[in-house]
Amino acid sequence: MNLNPLLEPDWLKAIRPETMLVVGGLLLILLEAFFKETLRRFLAPLAAMILAATAWVVVNMYPWVADAPRVFFGGTYQISVATIIFDLTFLLATLLVIMFSRDYLQRENIDCGEYYALMLWGTFGMMMMAKGLELLIVVLGLETLSICIFVLVGFNRRVALSNEASLKYFLMGAFATGFVLYGIALFYGATGSTNIPQLLVYFSTNQHAGPLLTIAFILIMGGLGFKLALAPFHGWAPDVYQGAPTPVAGWISTAPKAATLVVLLRFFAATSPAVEQPKWMAVAAVLAVLSMVLGNFVAIAQRDLKRMLAYSGIAHVGYMMLAVRTVREDAVAAIALYAVTYALMNIGAFGVISLLQKNQNDPQTLDDIAGMGFRYPFAGLALTVFMLSLSGIPPTAGFISKFYVFKVVIDAGDIGLALVGIFTSIVSVYYYLRVVYYLYMKEADELTPVPARGAFATGALVLAIVGIFVVGIWPMPVFDLFPLAANAIFLGH
Amino acid sequence: MTTLLSNHLLSVILWLPLVGALAIALIPKRLEHEAKVAGLFVSLATFVLSIGILQRFDNVEAGFQMVEHSAWIPAWGISYALGIDGISLWLTMLTTFLTPLVLLSAWNSVHKHVNAYVVAMLALEFGMIGSFLATDLLLFYVFFELMLVPMYLIIGVWGGPRRIYAAIKFFLFTIAGSLFMLVAILYLVFVVKGASGPPTFNIVDLYGLAIPMKTQALLFFAFALAFAIKVPIFPFHTWLPDAHVEAPTGGSIILAGVLLKLGTYGFLRFVLPFFPEATYKYAPVLATLAVIGIVYGALVAWVQPDMKKLVAYSSVSHLGFCVLGIFAVTQTSIEGSILQMVSHGLSTGALFLLVGVIYDRRHTRMLADFGGLAKSMPIYATIFVIVALSSAGLPGLNGFVGEYLILVGSFKTLPWYTVVAASGVILAAIYLLWLVQRVFFGPLDKEENKNLPDMKWNELAAVIPLLVFIVWIGVYPNTFLKKMEPSVRQLLTTVENHHAASERLAATAEPAVPTANPVDGVSR
Repeated sequence: MNLNPLLEPDWLKAIRPETMLVVGGLLLILLEAFFKETLRRFLAPLAAMILAATAWVVVNMYPWVADAPRVFFGGTYQISVATIIFDLTFLLATLLVIMFSRDYLQRENIDCGEYYALMLWGTFGMMMMAKGLELLIVVLGLETLSICIFVLVGFNRRVALSNEASLKYFLMGAFATGFVLYGIALFYGATGSTNIPQLLVYFSTNQHAGPLLTIAFILIMGGLGFKLALAPFHGWAPDVYQGAPTPVAGWISTAPKAATLVVLLRFFAATSPAVEQPKWMAVAAVLAVLSMVLGNFVAIAQRDLKRMLAYSGIAHVGYMMLAVRTVREDAVAAIALYAVTYALMNIGAFGVISLLQKNQNDPQTLDDIAGMGFRYPFAGLALTVFMLSLSGIPPTAGFISKFYVFKVVIDAGDIGLALVGIFTSIVSVYYYLRVVYYLYMKEADELTPVPARGAFATGALVLAIVGIFVVGIWPMPVFDLFPLAANAIFLGH
Repeated sequence: MTTLLSNHLLSVILWLPLVGALAIALIPKRLEHEAKVAGLFVSLATFVLSIGILQRFDNVEAGFQMVEHSAWIPAWGISYALGIDGISLWLTMLTTFLTPLVLLSAWNSVHKHVNAYVVAMLALEFGMIGSFLATDLLLFYVFFELMLVPMYLIIGVWGGPRRIYAAIKFFLFTIAGSLFMLVAILYLVFVVKGASGPPTFNIVDLYGLAIPMKTQALLFFAFALAFAIKVPIFPFHTWLPDAHVEAPTGGSIILAGVLLKLGTYGFLRFVLPFFPEATYKYAPVLATLAVIGIVYGALVAWVQPDMKKLVAYSSVSHLGFCVLGIFAVTQTSIEGSILQMVSHGLSTGALFLLVGVIYDRRHTRMLADFGGLAKSMPIYATIFVIVALSSAGLPGLNGFVGEYLILVGSFKTLPWYTVVAASGVILAAIYLLWLVQRVFFGPLDKEENKNLPDMKWNELAAVIPLLVFIVWIGVYPNTFLKKMEPSVRQLLTTVENHHAASERLAATAEPAVPTANPVDGVSR
């Protein structure tokens, strides 16, 4: 293994997006420190511009890796079509969240540079996770991301619920990372490597697998399952989403899950030749089914919208796991599409909730949105679109991505799992539609005015809705581009 | 413009309502009258354009006509493909014909969120036309699900007291069926069709695939479930009375007039030609449910105290005839079935419209609250009696032709089912005449009923076109039958050929087993 990174000539170019995010975050903090009051209203636009510029740089890396993935830092860091797609997903998610955050932060009087800086750094962590070919790099990314999330969840420090959520997430998240690390250590003990391509080589040539590997697999699965809020590791999700600042809840429910799923895809692909793999995938199937059933059924009982979305998120991770566990090449494209779609619709939904909230302590229950649909036509329409997309009604992106996932699952021959997915989807329609019903078919008891909406938030709503319909109606570019992502994950490099 | 119309007539007709809906959505809330006029204008324009289809329709051609095709998701063989044939022609026409009438009938009876109502109706029209015109399975599925949303809103926002329950029930029942169908679609395309070449969602390419019987049976039931819920066939009908009773008048007209036909249309378009062997094998199952529906629907209609519920249950009964005709798999019965779909759309649409008229005046639909209305509302009473008789199958009006063809056609292949089904005709006469008698005749003893105003201009404008076609179909059904005949013949050929081929295959595979009963051409 080549340990001298300087020998790869383009290494600086390879980490240009990451550098931009880290430096951009620092810049935001410094600006805030030196020009506290005068610059405050420029922080959100500046953060958005940094994200947009980073996205531009990422897009321009495409010709560079279109033919074959490139690997840096001694085989530990990969740039490929897959990582470009996922980088853009993270950037899009963070951009949407920042656009929604502004009104909210100003209302709560916590509009500071750290908030945006932490978001940028968290995005940097996710990029590391998606690009790491070395499990330790993945853990570094995971920890960077987790620390940012711990702080962001408790960002509204005057609100007790927010503090509670932060502490809960911190304690459990620390354990989860511990599990992942322990699992990686056991993997190293059994195979002598923590490098994903080398693991693939190892499992292709060694057909024995002892209990040590199974324990290691379960530890890693549990730790990553926690990050995904996969049942039965989901317990934190409803409380944390409810307590976190609402736009932050939208962020942690989407982008980090996408990053974790890339890690799982790589990990499953690398271990796929192992003898024990079918058993491990059976475990994954059980977790997926548990998530779909539990998430969708418990969501029915929720009246708080954020808690409802938390359980719906558990279910959606279940659908994605169905595709991930097939370990098929087309699963990569399906997951990538699902991740983008889920970011658009879920951040959008949390965004609308944050716009309708008077303050962080104001719970958003179904009763609070009664009759909002006709009084605030645009916000109502947006929430309706997000709910229909979440339930997978055509012609939204939610339909196309669910279709893709189920196509992969049926192609793999897992008809039974597909039927479970379909059955739980029917259940989910009930609670998503209930939101629409409260929006349009119920009269409010009292007229509570909602806070005014800024241009940034309106822009975010438009962006999310347009994205949902573009993917739903015009998915050809997606179907041309996304399948290219498979080779980066499956060939390892 | 002319080339657009001549090359893309179907697309224009399909997209016009949606474009109109989006434009009307931008009209400010207070301009309610303008929104209604604009909606009427858009739907009338759609109807006028759809007459162009009739003019250009080739009566001899059996396959899809005026086809349009462009790739949508080429990697999976999904395309934006439209076409029309003798099976979908009259259902499309029915849709474009009913929508303006629905908007007219609601002129003064929808009071809240008027603009949104117009938008929802036009969006619904878009979904319905798309379902009938799509010749790509996935495109059909998209439209099939798409139209649930506007219908959900129509029932839920403008409906009666229990509208929420009815709307959610409607949505969940339908989507439950269609999601299982989605799994079957994926399996059919990617596993069955994908085994022998690139996947395709083109309907014609999927006709008569050689599918092993066990698989075929499962796929058959997955598709049949979706359409059986939509029709609805007993015992999946329970959502229908709720939806009808709670829906506003316009919603009921469209629901009974067009939406239910998507179920029967789905059987004809997909189930029969996709799964010919399973169709023959399980036709008795569907026919049994259809006959139960005919008798059960009629008996339950008989005892309803609520006019709208009565008409709703009569729908269950009448659509049972359509399903029976389809699963009898004969030329006459299927033609009768398609004609009955159109007839039912007109008659039941008109009945719901008329029930809406009286409901607007009295805010009750209970039979017990009326009596002797013929004295206070003579025009209304006359029209109602004509429509009721047409629904009951009086010769000379539309209901008779369809039911007669179904019964004659089905008798050849399903004699005993037909005998039982025929009792439905008698029962229909009983419950409809019972309805007419209790509402319009007898003493005019209720004070509130004495000074009811007769039909208004918009109500007459909505109902008279329906009456024209009720008589037209009854007197000269050949206008309609001759256009559907070649397509139905081709459908039957597809079904019978594949059935015969598989019979031969089975016969050569097991030559040792002597057949105890000599099988006729259409064995079951």
